[in-house]
Amino acid sequence: MSKLEAKGLCKAFGGVQAIQDFSFTVDDRQIVGIIGPNGAGKTTAFNLLTGVYPIDAGEVFLDGKLISGLPQHEITQRGLARTFQNIRLFKGLNLIENVMTAADPYSSYNLADVFLFSRRKRNREKEVRDMSRSFLELVGLSGLENEKPENLPYGLQRKLELARALASKPKVLLLDEPAAGLNPSEVQEFIQLVQRLHDQFDLSVLVIEHRMEVIMTLCANIYVLNFGKLLAHGTPAEIQNNRDVTTAYIGEEDEACLL
Amino acid sequence: MSIQQLLNGVSLGSVYALIAVGFALVFNILKFSNFAHGGVMTLTAYIGLAASLFFSRWLSGLPLFGATLVSAALAGAIVGIVLERMAFRRIRNNNSPVIYYFISSITMGILMENIVTIFASSTFYSYPKFFELSVVELFHVNIALTDLLMLVFSSTALMILLWVLYRTKIGLAIRALSFDVNTANLMGMDSNRVVMATFIAAGILGGVAGVFLGINYTLYPQLGQLIVKGFIASVIGGLGSITGAMIGAVLLGVLEVTLISAVGAGIAPVFVFIIMLTFLLVRPRGIAGVIVQEKA
Amino acid sequence: MEYIITILTFTGITLIGVLGSYMVTGLTGLFSFGQAAFFSVGAYTAAVLVKDFATPFPLAVVAAMSAGLVAGMIVGYPTVRLRRDYISLVTFGFGEAIIALLNNSTNLTGGAMGLSGIPRYTSFWVVWLSVAVCLTIVAGYKYSKYGRQCLALRSDELAAKAMGINVNRVKLVTFLFAAAMTSYAGVLYAFYTTYVEPGSFGWIVSAEWIIIVFVGGINSLTGSVFATFLLTGLPEMLRFASEWRIAIYCVIVLLIINFRPVGIFGEFELSYKWLRQLGKKGAKAA
Repeated sequence: MSKLEAKGLCKAFGGVQAIQDFSFTVDDRQIVGIIGPNGAGKTTAFNLLTGVYPIDAGEVFLDGKLISGLPQHEITQRGLARTFQNIRLFKGLNLIENVMTAADPYSSYNLADVFLFSRRKRNREKEVRDMSRSFLELVGLSGLENEKPENLPYGLQRKLELARALASKPKVLLLDEPAAGLNPSEVQEFIQLVQRLHDQFDLSVLVIEHRMEVIMTLCANIYVLNFGKLLAHGTPAEIQNNRDVTTAYIGEEDEACLL
Repeated sequence: MSIQQLLNGVSLGSVYALIAVGFALVFNILKFSNFAHGGVMTLTAYIGLAASLFFSRWLSGLPLFGATLVSAALAGAIVGIVLERMAFRRIRNNNSPVIYYFISSITMGILMENIVTIFASSTFYSYPKFFELSVVELFHVNIALTDLLMLVFSSTALMILLWVLYRTKIGLAIRALSFDVNTANLMGMDSNRVVMATFIAAGILGGVAGVFLGINYTLYPQLGQLIVKGFIASVIGGLGSITGAMIGAVLLGVLEVTLISAVGAGIAPVFVFIIMLTFLLVRPRGIAGVIVQEKA
Repeated sequence: MEYIITILTFTGITLIGVLGSYMVTGLTGLFSFGQAAFFSVGAYTAAVLVKDFATPFPLAVVAAMSAGLVAGMIVGYPTVRLRRDYISLVTFGFGEAIIALLNNSTNLTGGAMGLSGIPRYTSFWVVWLSVAVCLTIVAGYKYSKYGRQCLALRSDELAAKAMGINVNRVKLVTFLFAAAMTSYAGVLYAFYTTYVEPGSFGWIVSAEWIIIVFVGGINSLTGSVFATFLLTGLPEMLRFASEWRIAIYCVIVLLIINFRPVGIFGEFELSYKWLRQLGKKGAKAA
């Protein structure tokens, strides 16, 4: 059964057709990859799914329910969380607060609880803090709770983004080039981490990536975008042998260079 | 509404356009609201007054008026340079968040207002009477000479600005920088120079606006608060659009003249404010319709 | 002594206004030039109600805060949805509009002449008790989901939305909360000085509060409190150079922005834990 489904997405910026009639499905507990050359419209697709840009045409369904057209924060609360290509952490907050923030929209205490320092508020705060701590542990950031995110090395910042996304209770996790800027051993570690989280939380994952080893190891299903259009779609093996894909990536007659 | 009123409104609007465009220029490049612009107008208006008193020994009539405008514009350019160097250069080189630009600009605004208060005290001054004639008849409509001059000189200044922006190399650089600072830098553009040029242009517009405001309302240290007209015009026109700011300003001028005759000068700002809020509710992107959005 | 008490009382009232600016500017990153206008909304509402309509004081306080909320709603609702520059421009216009309104409803407000003969219901103790309550509430707000969400959206609005935060709502709630609190400070002011006039609540006052927050350290509540004492005290200290006072003040602020951009306290907060650690260190050193 499909968890996330997009039908005929279209988006134009001025005269440029960034996404044209793009449809895909992510099944329950499936990891799906989107690849394509730079400027193919991958990140735009994410921005359409999460409601950053309004969609020109097409629909997005999560668990069979229409989510396109909802405000961004509601789409997230329905269960679609994301990370960013160019890491976007909250600078004024420390690590654990960064993670807590993503859980805060689900806290039901109100202003009166804040003013009266009520038990409800204290209990919930503790609950959120403990939960966030466990997410930090899960991605391997325990002990750094009170650090500022900008003081972390790049690889750890990526992990923090992941922990933060998890705290928003996603059903589907969207990862936008999660391995960019990581060294080969970090990439391996990251692949294992995503695999582990996927198993532990029964997540469906949609991942954009340039590093082929990430896509080929993780994904059951791959969509290839080129100039905003779907170029190919299939299993890793099928994509690797697809002539159109090779052409789009490296031009004619140079298959040997693909990987 | 009579043609008379319409003309009054348009000429008032043309001065507001000077304010709004001076504000919008800086907004476009550095992406923050420059509250120091009010201070620039106050300071240059007083410098213009000093110049008019100085030149009145040799000149009178139109030449005196011209000399006053040119001195104020020059002063505006210099104030623009000083402002950029003192308040924004360092912050920009540190890549500081927008908050710092804000604080710096408010502080400079207060500082300039205070400097004027110290040297000219809080008394009201007015410009010398430039012309014997105060009303001219144009197509059977009586129009105040100062109104006519405001209209002519403001439109000329704005035309020159548009020409610079769209027909010269530095104008192209300004537009490129307002589009994307980083890319412009990567293309080898000297952003310091371009930002400086922008502040000079804004300063010149501020200087001309300062003189007209001084003629219209007499001179007092809080004159710079009229920058609020520029804000309202920008909001109506669409934040970040130069042509939008001009259209918004002319609309505001006409609206204000109409409101003043309908409800009185004192309470008119309240109605203008309400109209602006309604505008924001109905068409938040303003007339020009550009929306400046963060990139994901 | 009398003189010092008066100064301290005014400092306390200013501090409540600064706390409002701290919430809107420090926590949320919105520049409101209308805080002083909310101050005058509170002051005038309560003063007119008590003077002309013989309303009991506590009721007038509630009415004044409600008026602040309504005004905040009128200004805030259309603007929080937009780019944050709008809020500074619109609140600036709001400030001017309120002054025009007060100047022109002479029957009710006394116009430019001001409103005098307000009974003196507040004292040093009332003010500082209020300060204590407000500080506690604001601290509670900062260390709750609200405060965290404010800081998050200040740092990166887009990422905040992507984390499920209803950015517009959080902004509006914070803005309204600050508006109500600032109106309350206005009431304290009116019923302490017994006289209010429209001219004393211009944008410069709002700007000064923002500057105080900034000088103290944009994230730090401790810094705001400290800077309030410093910067409301400073003009008193600079009394000998009365004309140049504001100019000197501005130069100090410019120096801080350029050479110590995090403000005096940065993100530091004075807390029980910190004091204890300090005590331990002291003991070790001894």
